[in-house]
Amino acid sequence: MITAEGLVKRYGAKTAVNDISFSVRPGIVTGFLGPNGAGKSTTMRMIVGLDRPTSGSVTVNGRPYAEHSAPLREVGALLDAKAVHTGRSAYNHLLAMGATHGIGKARVREVIAMTGLESVASKRVGGFSLGMGQRLGIAAALLGDPATLILDEPVNGLDPEGVLWVRNLVKQLASEGRTVFLSSHLMSEMAVTADHLIVLGRGRIIADKPMATILAEASGASVLLRSPQAAHLAQLLAGPDITITSSEREALHVTGLTAVQIGETAARAGVVLHELTPGNASLEQAYMELTQDDVEYHATTAQPAAPLTEGVRR
Amino acid sequence: MSATTHTTPASSLSAAGILNSEWIKLRSVRSPAWSFAIAILVTVGFAALLSIPLGDETVMDTSDAAAALGNYATIGVQFSQIVVAVLGVLVITGEYSTGMIRSTLSAVPGRFGALAGKGVVLFLTTFVVSVVASIFAFGVSSAMFVSRDVSASILDEKVALPILGGALYLALLSLFALGIGTILRSGAGGIATVLGVLLLLPVLIAFIPFEWAGEVAPFLFGNAGIAFWHPESSDWEWWQNLLVTIGWVVASLGIGAALLRRRDA
Repeated sequence: MITAEGLVKRYGAKTAVNDISFSVRPGIVTGFLGPNGAGKSTTMRMIVGLDRPTSGSVTVNGRPYAEHSAPLREVGALLDAKAVHTGRSAYNHLLAMGATHGIGKARVREVIAMTGLESVASKRVGGFSLGMGQRLGIAAALLGDPATLILDEPVNGLDPEGVLWVRNLVKQLASEGRTVFLSSHLMSEMAVTADHLIVLGRGRIIADKPMATILAEASGASVLLRSPQAAHLAQLLAGPDITITSSEREALHVTGLTAVQIGETAARAGVVLHELTPGNASLEQAYMELTQDDVEYHATTAQPAAPLTEGVRR
Repeated sequence: MSATTHTTPASSLSAAGILNSEWIKLRSVRSPAWSFAIAILVTVGFAALLSIPLGDETVMDTSDAAAALGNYATIGVQFSQIVVAVLGVLVITGEYSTGMIRSTLSAVPGRFGALAGKGVVLFLTTFVVSVVASIFAFGVSSAMFVSRDVSASILDEKVALPILGGALYLALLSLFALGIGTILRSGAGGIATVLGVLLLLPVLIAFIPFEWAGEVAPFLFGNAGIAFWHPESSDWEWWQNLLVTIGWVVASLGIGAALLRRRDA
């Protein structure tokens, strides 16, 4: 359980984290989302005491991280895959980190095996690929067999097999009753991994809700239907706040109505349905809607920049 | 998985653990081993070089055999101090430049313990390596002087005290450099600063034509650090010089520790 209360971090005049309070519960995977510069990494660093809050506090299982007698057994953190001396081997890096807590060679070998680093464990970290560095960071986080895991962009640089492995690992860790706090920019990955989401924008919490709620509340949720009488059905379904689009003949995308409502309307009118598929809004859509006003660094595309941004805002 | 297969009894963060960790770190990158190897080579090498007979003359007065051999055993300190200064700085700045410091401070979030652990390991290792280097140097010099009837026991205080004093000086220097490295967090800046204090400051002070400069000179790290084990070179008692040397170390490590605690990593 991670609990933040009134957490503030300022760097000079810039406020990176602006008075946020949240809790991350054990037993589920909590995703941490937000645009670049929203304050995610700063928040995670404050949890493990690397950055000092300007005000407010954050505790892990009731205590500030630094006050635990065995911090590595309490929290395993992957904050920065490159937090390793490049001249040291992966094995010695883990051995040195574990030694502080009396964690020995047996456990070091265990996490090396878990993260698939056996073949490179004795090589110097300086020569590691991004993905290997990421695996080493995850190995270090697992070293103390901690009750809480904080993973900042864990799948960054991993191959598809590695991404799948992290997804399963994270879910397994949560199912064992651990607290898992995970950030990622890969929406598709987050969508299949996290149970609960905390969304940050410009240092503030925009949303702190279960994944299902966030998806359900997103306006982009649409239902796909196919019917030989599509045109007729479209007239029946039309109404305020309901949009109906058609990408091909006999197929309709309906937003603003549930599959149940559509099915019942069709049944009442005796319209034949060949397909009725409720499609959740993608997490990406939901995320874009939530954060559209809180993006710190807008990219501008060279040519049709203005109309595009307009379109998104509308 | 891990929760079920991991059966070792849970141990906590401890001082012994931190020392063990820093010892592993010191051994598992290349620069410390290289630095210590160079320090030993330089110490033994200079002793051997200066022990080569030049006709009937020798570089140093050998009428007091023990004093002469004590000098030969530690003459290399003047050179190996540069290696030790660089190593002391790199032990901490290497962690800053690679990002390792964030792993270190995650494992030891009290921070002070991490710096103290580094200091203890660095101090002891430097001391032991220096003593070993000087003993080798003494052995080489003794062997080369044996035909000239110059010999002394290594336990003679005129041999043993300089060897221990020189090693203590280098060990204190490594701590001073560690403190400067912690303050500056940059290898280049740290090395320049330590070598400046060590080598440049005494020269600069000597050129200042005011009376106070002469009064300040004995307080410099490079002067006091040598004088406490070369009592003949100073007007002060050996322990006064030692206290001044320790003062520099305390100041550098103290400021370093305070900044380390306060700063974001």
